[in-house]
Amino acid sequence: MAELTTDDETVEAIKKWWKENGTAVIAGLVIGLVVVFGWRAWINHQEQVGQRASLAFEQLLMAANRGQHDAAVKQTEALIDAHAKTPYAALAELTLAKVRIAQDDLDGAAEALRSAVERAPNPGLAKLAAFRLARVLIANEAFEDALAVIERHDDGGAFSADFAGLRGDIALAQGETADARAAYEAALAGGAGLSRLIELKLQDLPAANDRSS
Amino acid sequence: MLQEIRERAQGWVAWAIIILISIPFAFWGIDSYFGGGAEPVVASVNGTEITERAFNRNVNRTRVQLRDRLGNAYDPALFGDARIREEVLERMIRETLLLENSEAMGLRVSDQAVRAAILGEPAFQRDGAFSNAQYEQVLRRQGLTPAAYEESLRRQLLMTQLPRAIRETAFVTDALAERSLSLVRQQRVLAYMPVPSTAFEERVQAPSDEVVAAYYDEHPEQFATPEQVRVAYLLLDATTLSAPDQAIAEATLREQYELRLDEFTAPQERRVRHILLTVPADADQATRAATRERLQAIQEHLRDGESFAEVAAEVSEDPGSADSGGALGWISRGSLDPAFEQAVFALEPKTLSDPVRSRFGYHLVEVLDVRGGEPQPFESVKEDLIADLRGGGSEGIYFEQAEQLATLTYESPDSLVPAAETLELEIQESDWIDRSGGEGLFAHPKVIGAAFSEEVLARGNNSELLEPDPDKLQALVLRVADHREPSVRPLAEVRDDIVALLEAQRAAEAAQAEAEAIAERIRAGQDLAEAAEDFEAIETGRVSRTTSELPPEVVQLAFSLPRPDADTERRIGSTSAEDGGDAFVVVVSEVIDGDPAQLDEAELEAEASVLERALASADIDAVLAAMRARAEIEREPVVSDEPF
Repeated sequence: MAELTTDDETVEAIKKWWKENGTAVIAGLVIGLVVVFGWRAWINHQEQVGQRASLAFEQLLMAANRGQHDAAVKQTEALIDAHAKTPYAALAELTLAKVRIAQDDLDGAAEALRSAVERAPNPGLAKLAAFRLARVLIANEAFEDALAVIERHDDGGAFSADFAGLRGDIALAQGETADARAAYEAALAGGAGLSRLIELKLQDLPAANDRSS
Repeated sequence: MLQEIRERAQGWVAWAIIILISIPFAFWGIDSYFGGGAEPVVASVNGTEITERAFNRNVNRTRVQLRDRLGNAYDPALFGDARIREEVLERMIRETLLLENSEAMGLRVSDQAVRAAILGEPAFQRDGAFSNAQYEQVLRRQGLTPAAYEESLRRQLLMTQLPRAIRETAFVTDALAERSLSLVRQQRVLAYMPVPSTAFEERVQAPSDEVVAAYYDEHPEQFATPEQVRVAYLLLDATTLSAPDQAIAEATLREQYELRLDEFTAPQERRVRHILLTVPADADQATRAATRERLQAIQEHLRDGESFAEVAAEVSEDPGSADSGGALGWISRGSLDPAFEQAVFALEPKTLSDPVRSRFGYHLVEVLDVRGGEPQPFESVKEDLIADLRGGGSEGIYFEQAEQLATLTYESPDSLVPAAETLELEIQESDWIDRSGGEGLFAHPKVIGAAFSEEVLARGNNSELLEPDPDKLQALVLRVADHREPSVRPLAEVRDDIVALLEAQRAAEAAQAEAEAIAERIRAGQDLAEAAEDFEAIETGRVSRTTSELPPEVVQLAFSLPRPDADTERRIGSTSAEDGGDAFVVVVSEVIDGDPAQLDEAELEAEASVLERALASADIDAVLAAMRARAEIEREPVVSDEPF
């Protein structure tokens, strides 16, 4: 660019530059603003949806805790319809399972928990749902199904000791006392919940060998 | 090159740069250019940082809570600083993990929930209802804006949401509750037989010298004495500062009496009657003079013996007193017109005054009677004076002397003698104490800590002034008088103990072997009485787990023996004899499960809710463990700061 000697020439140069690039600049600005505000609106929308789902879940929990079973079932359906993509869908299924247990409907509880496993927003919650599902299946004497669930979800990490305890229950129900003993011992060693109950179950097993008979 | 930059600066490059710079502003504001990054971080959870500042704040809060809860028992030295820091950091990591996962999962807290939490917070309530003024006031006091408070509340609620959801959806099937109860309520029918180790004491061989020596060599820790000190100390105690029988000089008491004379003097009161002739406030000189003269005339009449009461009733212009013969009753200073009052209190009793001018007019006053005004005699308040001097005095003396004690022992750090002489205190000596403490004063952690401190123990200096119990006016300064390194007592000294110990051990072993032999005979088919030989079998009937009537090791063994079944009708076991006690043979002949059919609904429900709570907390822990296994957690090793 040549030296600009006068003001007029400078103004002229700016005008020329603007003529060539003006549209691009404005377009750039507009796109930038649209991206920024659009992003914010999207975040805001997400927040609103999340909050609505959260509120619906709190109301569902409240209904379930008050023993309003029919209302809780309806609210679960509504929540899953409206907010299937939020984590609250899985939490709602967990709540429904509890309601079903209170209604003595083991099949219904198992169904809700299966769905909770699938919808779980987090591997830890998936395991939690699987653990509860296996317990319901055992209570329903569907031992093979329960074992399958345990196999699929037990990766040796969290809940592993709890799963071991359930394996013990299954083995005991099937008359495999040696297996039950091993499983209970593993559960206790791994720090399963309800350890006192597992201890009692272990002591209640018939003798593993006849040393003390 | 500069030329080139100038050209480009006016082209698309400049715009690109400007847009790039402005994007962070649009999203995060100016903060992203300042602050952040510089702060030291103690841990990070999936990239979320726990700053040192937040960590230290939490540590301090935990300490304060501990101190509040434990009161005087709280001693920073006992609650290892490192332990508190470790626990706090773990808790913060756990909370951050939960928060981070909840956010990532898409959990939210609704505005309604935040509002409900604020409305329900007792601190914001006045008269049992939420008060906006109270809310703002409380926040202002904590230096928070409502927006900041609501944001932090939202995070709190978000953090608790998932654990709450897990807890409240935990369930226990009826079958599980029944199974649990039937196990807990299980009863067993058993017989047991104590085989006391005392029965074998006579029979065991005394251990040989080699065995004793070997035991001594193998267990030096049992014969070790800990490091001990004996301290010399000066104790200042407010309760003994002025001994009760110590006489207080009569002169001192007199002096106190004079100083406090006002306290012992009841205010003087005078019974007064008067005759008032009123003068309007705006009256001129002549009117006043006339009134005064009239009153002087009345005064003459009274002097001549006319009845004051009658005259007052006739002429007094005070409506309040005229009818009662001018009587005003008992009056004290400060209740009447100042000029009138002055005249009243200057007047000799039983004399009639000259006309007295007040703002009401002119009065004739007579004082009928006087009471009070005399101080109580010295003798009657002497006891009080003595008590006050002792009580009030000793506290002052205590603080004065405590300060002196601290100064003197600091100035000559290698001796207590100067302080003892100046303050007339006796240097006392303690017994041997070790780090676990001694008797009385020396049980206190502050005192033990001082006795074993570097300054006192290693350098041999006086301790600082110690006030072990903040509720008592008691202070001491100590120094180490004698010191024993940890040592091992010589074999000769402990030989007898070892022999006794080994004999008891052998007796216990013999008892245990005998018990096992009896058990073996019963297993082989002998009946109890036959197998027992010298020992007595006790049949218990049904026994539950919680019984306290049997020795605990018997119950423990009885309930851990396998169930009897068709092949073996009895289960037999034996215990070892703990601490030279008894060994036991236990025979279980029947197991009766708790019968769920006999339980009522309430019992089952109670059991279910106990199990539910236990399951829920185990579930929460397991879910957290799963989160933790997948998280990237970096943490600094905990470094202790100065204990305070």
